[in-house]
Amino acid sequence: MIINSQPYEMSSKPIAVNIEGICKSYRCGNTVTPVLEGVDLVAQREECVFLTGPSGSGKTTLLSILGCILSADRGRAQILGEDIFALDEEARTTLRRERLGFVFQRFHLIRGLTSLDNVCVPLALRGTSPLKAHDRGMALLDTVGLADKAKMHPRNLSAGECQRVALARALSGDPDLLLADEPTASLDATNGQEVMQLLRRLTTQEGRTAIIVTHDQRIFHFADKRFYLENGRIAEAPESRSTALPESEQ
Amino acid sequence: MWSIALKTLVADRGKLLTALVGVVFSIVLVNVQGGFFIGLIRKASLLVEHGQADIWVGHKKMHNVDFPRDIPQRWVYRIRTVPGVKRAEPYLIGFSDMTLPSGGFEGVVVVGVDRASLLGNAWNLTQGSPDAIFQSDGIIIDDCEGEKLEFPKVGDRREIGGRRANIVAMSHGIMGFLVAPYVFTTYERAASYLHKNPDVCSYFLVQLEPGADADRVCAAIRQRVPELDAFPREQFGWISINFWMTRTGLGISFGAATLMGILVGMVIVAQTLYAMVLDRLGEFGTLKAIGATERQVCSILLIQALAMALVGSIIGLVSVSGIVYFYSTPRAPILVPGWLSLGSCVLVLAICLIASLLPYLRIRKVDPLTVLQS
Repeated sequence: MIINSQPYEMSSKPIAVNIEGICKSYRCGNTVTPVLEGVDLVAQREECVFLTGPSGSGKTTLLSILGCILSADRGRAQILGEDIFALDEEARTTLRRERLGFVFQRFHLIRGLTSLDNVCVPLALRGTSPLKAHDRGMALLDTVGLADKAKMHPRNLSAGECQRVALARALSGDPDLLLADEPTASLDATNGQEVMQLLRRLTTQEGRTAIIVTHDQRIFHFADKRFYLENGRIAEAPESRSTALPESEQ
Repeated sequence: MWSIALKTLVADRGKLLTALVGVVFSIVLVNVQGGFFIGLIRKASLLVEHGQADIWVGHKKMHNVDFPRDIPQRWVYRIRTVPGVKRAEPYLIGFSDMTLPSGGFEGVVVVGVDRASLLGNAWNLTQGSPDAIFQSDGIIIDDCEGEKLEFPKVGDRREIGGRRANIVAMSHGIMGFLVAPYVFTTYERAASYLHKNPDVCSYFLVQLEPGADADRVCAAIRQRVPELDAFPREQFGWISINFWMTRTGLGISFGAATLMGILVGMVIVAQTLYAMVLDRLGEFGTLKAIGATERQVCSILLIQALAMALVGSIIGLVSVSGIVYFYSTPRAPILVPGWLSLGSCVLVLAICLIASLLPYLRIRKVDPLTVLQS
């Protein structure tokens, strides 16, 4: 169920993500546990879509499918115009590298690399020249307010700073779709708000689409659309509070 | 990828040092063990290498320069008639005893050289001159054998085979594979010390005319004197080395020790690389999640292995140079030829690359999904 004010059919923006009837089960021995049971979801360009729901509802599984990391058992999925279930493993890896950006709950920065090096990793994977990667990395660190910490290693950064580096890394490859898994879960309220403001500004305002898995009600107001996932299906949200974007964010 | 691989490698200094210890250990062990082995085994062909002869002619099936059989000296005239032979001279080698100042005896290998050509005479003299053996009862001995011979000096007088011997010159570093010291003197005096008839000798040392082919001349000598064998210098040197290698198991012994060292080095490198990878499985998962291909992940490991091999080889070779400089002696020479150093580096590189396969197999199983699930 969509828990937001604007029905997406009304918008003229192109569709970035369109999934229909996604089903996914996990098998453990003879036991089959269904996780997703016919999920439909549409996200348009420049939209910030939230996936919410209780633990075990299938949010991360759905995000993994959207990120071409996991395959579904059934259903259709068009990501940025590609039928991802028709792609082979190499093509899915290429799609991840070239067009998707990831922000993880625990940042997953590479310990041995500086902030700048971490931001440049996706560029290195693409074969971008070190000089260009350096310039792009510094520009992004400047954008997230960490240009002065470019030479610092993750162990010397706060959680909020790490997540901002992770956000810069996710955006360094200039992705069309940003996927974030609980990006504020490891952060305090202030840092969480700051990261979300950045994420919101650097994604949707630059023509990207963002799909964000979160439990954090404090950031619900950043969503254009929110899907509530329960027992593997899109369901009605239990809370009744408004989730429309505040004026300042629109 | 180079930058990611090297920076992450350097970041974990503890494990990097451990891996480097493994690589350096392998390099040092291969070179020093190999150097000792080559130094020792080269002693077996010492006389052949330094004898200034292009061809060695001796009895049939001759297998070791230090263990000759008597051959008639008069056959030298038949050898001198072979086309391509510039000079052929008799050479005598045999065992005798030298008296010691304390009243004891020490076994020596007496080498008799032709007076005219001095072919096969002592080299690297530190005192006296090569032709000093022309002096009455003159002999040349090596100063490295001082302990065995109770520290003889030039001018000292000894007896060999019951005959008088005057020390007229000293060489440095002529220590053969056998424990008996070499004593160089004239052919006739050597025959006297060995109580041999001067009509027999041990070898004929042949020098070739410029441009003559050694193998062809050897064949011609065998044809002219069917009772003899003839080999070019390098070949006879190898024959002498091979004698000790195959009859003593020396090669197997050194080879096994070296192999053990290589295996230990490989295990250290593999274990360290594996531990590094286990520590960073999440990071490899992250790389895969954000689009790194299997090839890119593999290249990170290969670059790290290559870097460890390169740095470890450089440190190892510097260490080997130090060991050779400080510990190589004529008694226990460490000869490390360029091919051995290069070979050990190639071997260590192969070890590192093979060692990186184990962690790669582990990384292959890393599912990027784990990054999202953690």
